[in-house]
Amino acid sequence: MSWEFTLAHAWAGGSKKAAGAGVCDPAMENDAFAGFYERSARPLWAYLARVSADPALADDLMQESYVRFLCAEGAPTLAMNGEAAARLYLFRIATNLLRDYWRRPRNTSIEEIPEELFAVRGSEAQSDAQILLEPALKQMKPRERQMLWLAHAEGYSHREIAQVMGLGAASIRLLLFRARRKIAALLRACAADDGRKS
Amino acid sequence: MNLTSCPYEKEVRQLMARGQWPAACPPELRTHVNGCRACGDLVLISEAFRHARAESLAAARPVAPAVLLWRAQLRRRNAAVERVGRPLLGAQIFACAVALFAAAGFASFEARNGVEWFTLSYWHDWFVQLPQAAAAQWASLSSGTLAGSAWSWMALATLLLLGGVAVYLATDKP
Repeated sequence: MSWEFTLAHAWAGGSKKAAGAGVCDPAMENDAFAGFYERSARPLWAYLARVSADPALADDLMQESYVRFLCAEGAPTLAMNGEAAARLYLFRIATNLLRDYWRRPRNTSIEEIPEELFAVRGSEAQSDAQILLEPALKQMKPRERQMLWLAHAEGYSHREIAQVMGLGAASIRLLLFRARRKIAALLRACAADDGRKS
Repeated sequence: MNLTSCPYEKEVRQLMARGQWPAACPPELRTHVNGCRACGDLVLISEAFRHARAESLAAARPVAPAVLLWRAQLRRRNAAVERVGRPLLGAQIFACAVALFAAAGFASFEARNGVEWFTLSYWHDWFVQLPQAAAAQWASLSSGTLAGSAWSWMALATLLLLGGVAVYLATDKP
């Protein structure tokens, strides 16, 4: 028995086991994955870019999220669990990656990131809402940004946000309520400042 | 803290989700939103986030899915290699432990029978006598007694085996 045969056997064994759990299905890997990726990549990037305030980091984390999604044992499949479940799982991976990134010791903290990094690539003309939202988001905690984005940009329910963030639905309700009040006050304050300046 | 939401909040949320706010909103609901803090907050925040999302969606530049599939395939392959290599590593550790144990046993046995082989002069004499000893050993191998010859063949086989293992370990790539 050659080494290559052993390796191929182990690989096939791993794939069978994974396919049994609903992952690493070759069909999913080609056509279905391409379609799923087409529909989910941009929302995922938007989430990562806005919450991390770093488009370059969002690029890296988005790729890593998909690679982990494809390699994960027990990940939901499109055929068995539907696209909504697969997308929730993908957002959960991305959320965990963001959390790991923030926990990692580094020279600059998220609070020290310059405001310019919040600017989205290729958007010279920003809307009024954008101009107000960026400074307000900057003053929110990372977890609050995640929750607010999932609730108000992605339109997820409390239960879905709880699934993505790994928290209880009741906790999400309370935390989201507080975060919403906080950002609404910040947005109003920013709007008032903007009005006074102009 | 009162977490009770406004009864109209759900309706406002649905209108926003369908993109019907404020165009298709009934006037009485709009009046309510202007006076209700919870609904006002909801509209303010949702509009800001939806605009931000639309801009970010347009700005996203995702890589080709084939790149991600290739990276995932590579990672799975590496994981498979690691899985296969795990028992081999265990066997190597076991063999190393057995060899160390045998060496320790041999050293203790020799130490009990005298420690002259620890000295430099002992090894000097051993090297000097090595060619003669090898020749004598070869002679005994070719025409010696059965028992002596068997031991010599076993020693030679062990030497060849250990040599093979040493060559394998030296050329084994990570």
